[in-house]
Parts: sequence; structure tokens; C-alpha cells
Amino acid sequence: MMLDVQSLNVYYGKIHALKDVSFSVDEGEVVALIGANGAGKSTTLKTLSGLLRSRTGSITFCGEDITHCESYRLLGKGLAHVPEGRRIFLQMTVQENLEMGAYIHKRVAEGDLEDVFRRFPRLKERRNQIAGTLSGGEQQMLAISRALMSHPKLLMLDEPSMGLAPILVEQIFQIIRELHESGSTILLVEQNAEMALQIAQRAYVLESGRITLSGTGRELIESDSIKKAYLGGS
Amino acid sequence: MTHFIQTLISSLSLGSIYALIALGYTMVYGIAKMLNFAHGDIIMVGAYTVIVAAFQLGMPPLVAALMSIVVCVLLGVLIERLAYKPLRQAPPLSVLITAIGVSYLLQNLALLLFGSEQKAFPTLITLPELHLGAVVIDGITLVTLAATAVIMVGLTLFINKTRVGKALRAVSEDKEAAELMGISTNKTITLTFAIGSALAAVASIFYGATYIYIKPTTGAMPGIKAFTAAVFGGIGSIPGAMLGGILLGMIEQFSKTYISTLWSDAIVFGVLVLILVVKPTGLLGRQIKEKV
Repeated sequence: MMLDVQSLNVYYGKIHALKDVSFSVDEGEVVALIGANGAGKSTTLKTLSGLLRSRTGSITFCGEDITHCESYRLLGKGLAHVPEGRRIFLQMTVQENLEMGAYIHKRVAEGDLEDVFRRFPRLKERRNQIAGTLSGGEQQMLAISRALMSHPKLLMLDEPSMGLAPILVEQIFQIIRELHESGSTILLVEQNAEMALQIAQRAYVLESGRITLSGTGRELIESDSIKKAYLGGS
Repeated sequence: MTHFIQTLISSLSLGSIYALIALGYTMVYGIAKMLNFAHGDIIMVGAYTVIVAAFQLGMPPLVAALMSIVVCVLLGVLIERLAYKPLRQAPPLSVLITAIGVSYLLQNLALLLFGSEQKAFPTLITLPELHLGAVVIDGITLVTLAATAVIMVGLTLFINKTRVGKALRAVSEDKEAAELMGISTNKTITLTFAIGSALAAVASIFYGATYIYIKPTTGAMPGIKAFTAAVFGGIGSIPGAMLGGILLGMIEQFSKTYISTLWSDAIVFGVLVLILVVKPTGLLGRQIKEKV
């Protein structure tokens, strides 16, 4: 098991945001965390990457307890987080953003930059442009590429399709599929449940801070409650 | 014409000192999002360190200058660790009040140690004056200008070209995202205070060499002026602090020469108010737009 999360409880002041959240991710899997706005999906990822602290519970990553690990040390352990809203450095160039992705490696491997540019030729054209001038879709591609620069063991993506046109959403999911095929392990947080369930081997459903359902992607797509709540079916 | 060139050169020298101090304000603001009002007093500490090192310890000038830089860096980092770090999550006002408190603490410690009377700054180097036609330039002015130019180029290269410099910019733009890249915010803040304090020490050496007399409140006025310069150029912007410092020095010196010594400060601050009315972010300050 690559990531093992045991009964996390996270609070924002008095608000109990995550209630006994437990789940796991195996090597090579794409696991989706789906749920409505405010269900606690981003809170879960932020807790995993140390930006928020859990009051109780434990997080084990590759056999190591990282519950209390400082945020900036986690990338070095192989845990990469592409946060909600992309959070690329808007005032830095595309290339500098990628260099920051490889910060922990001291030197940027030229091959890694080439890999990114091969995957996203648009980023190559714009490598010396300020990232703030990129379109939303290009920014998301930059955010994912930046996270890949460190060769993480686990890639956590928070709402990668948010705010993007349908054709770009399709493109982003295609990228996730390709990453999976090349052996990456991915924890995907999505509001777009349909897309997420199609791509994920397993998924968990979060509702008001609690995991209420879990199963394989296929099981959940066919489950009636999911259809009603997230897929707009009857 | 000679008079004009003479004024221009002395204004550039004064502006260089302001710029060096303003860099400390602007970098700390950019990274830690706080106004470090004790920064001006670091200049005073730097100047007293040179005095003690040169007169009481009998150090050669260059060693005294280096000691001043070391003492200021250690002090700056220590102040951050003891006074500001515990307030990382506190409201900005608490941090501001603490900074003012640290400023008074430093001034009063100096008062206790050195007394209230002025102390003379040692002559660190004696350089011949440079005569260009009728224009006479002091040796120390030349050194100030040259050193500031080198420091500014070096700092710009460091910020834009090196891995650590880029990480500094990343933290200044988005701390959380930088942490996710494996960049420690705390280490970056420490580094920023170290750089800012080193620049303040350099400024103190040029200030002392130019104005000769040092007292416990010596840092206050150049501190406020340099802070003004940082706001003037756009606080958080490194080229802004350089430009703001130089311009402020020019406005001050030219008002002194051509209008009135008494009015020069009023004119300096008046221009600041005008600039901020027209461009609230300062000359090179950026309004940060967020794309969601």
C-alpha cells in the first residue's frame, strides 16, 4: 500500500471538516475522491500535504508515518500535490515554474524539461513567457507538469478540470490516463464525478466530511445513489 | 552647470544609501508580508559596530566593515527568530507593533551602551578626490556609487538567475505553492532577513562615512526615508526599491540645493503622496491579479 489514511479528523476552528476519513491508494492505481462542493475533498488533500493538520488519525506514505511531517519535506518523499486553482507562479516564466517543480533536485534535468515540452508543445512555445499570460487550460498543464518535474511516487490532483472548457477537460483526463498507463499513481479529487469514475480503478465518495461510499469506479458509476446525486441520471 | 552636476552626484550617493536600506524593507515585505520598522535601527547598530571595532578593538578598516556586516546579519536573523517568528499566524497589526517595539528596544540599548552624545565615525579609507573640470567628487562618494551599483547588479542576478533566488520569488508570490515545491518558507524568511540586514550594514558604512556623526537615533530618519523609497517604487518590488531610493535621494538633494533645506523633507513626502494618489501601487508595484 502506497498511501494509507486512517481516521483523519480535521477542524477549521470549531467546524469539524473531516470526520474519521480513512482510505488507501495502492501503487499504480488511480483513485478518485468525489463529492459535492464543501464535502472535504480539498481539505483531505491539504491535510495529506501538511498544509492543514489533523487533530487525530494517521497518514502513512510508503511505510513512513508522515502525519506530522512539515509540508516542504513531503515532495522529497515523493508526494506531489497540484492544488486547487492550479497555483502556478503567475509572475514567473513557464520555464521558471518548471524549475521550481524540480527545486528539490538542485539541478533541472534537461531531459525532464524535454519530456514536458514533448507532452505539451504549447508550453515549449511559451517557455519564456510569464505564466500569468497563459490560458486556464495551459496553466493547468503547467501545474501538472511542474508537479511531474520532481518524479513523484504519488501525484495528487485537486480539481484539475475546474473552470475549463469541455474540450480541455477531455484533454486533461487524457493526460491523466496517459500518466496512469506510464505507471504513475494518482489520487484524483473531482467534482466531475462521471469523468473521474471512468478513469479511476477505485473511488471514495465524501459527503459533509465523511466517506459514505467506496468501491471500484465501475461499481460506483452503476450505483443508484451516485447516479442520482452526481451523474444527473434517474 | 557645475553646481548642478555636483548636486546630481551627491544626490545619487544619498539615493544609493536609501536604495540599499529600501531593499531590506521591500524584500522582507515581499517574503514575510510584514513591515519591519526595526530595519532602520540595524543601520545604527552597523555604524556603532564599526566605531567599536575600529576605535576600541583597533581593527583595520576593512575588518571593521566586515564585522559590521556580520553583526547586522546575526542581529537581523535573531530578531526575526525571537520577535517575528512566533507571530507568523498573528494579525499584521501585532507584528507591526512588535517591530516598532524592537526598534525602540535597539535605540534604547544603544543609548544605554553608548550614551546620548554623538560619536564620530572612523575614516575607513582615504581616497583622493576626483576632479572632473570644476566638478569635485569625494572618494567616499565614488566608493558608495560603485559599491551600490555592484550590489544592485549582483542582487538582480541572484534573484533572477539562481535557484535560491527564484525560490525567493516563488515564496513571495505564493507561500503554500512554494512549500508544495519543497521550498521552506521559514528558511526563505531567514535568508531574506540576512540579506536585508547585510545591505543595511553596507548602507550604515556609507552613511557613517558621509555624515560622520552617529547617535542612537541615527537609524530612524534614513529608515523612514528608505521605507518611503520602498513604497515610492512599489513595496515588494526589488527594482522598485532601487529606483525609489535613487529618486528619493535626488528629490531630497535637489530640493535642499535649489529650494530650501527646511522644506526638503516636506517636498520628499509631498511627492510620495502625489505618486500614491496617481499610482497607489508605487512606481513599479504590481497589482496582483488572481486567475481562478
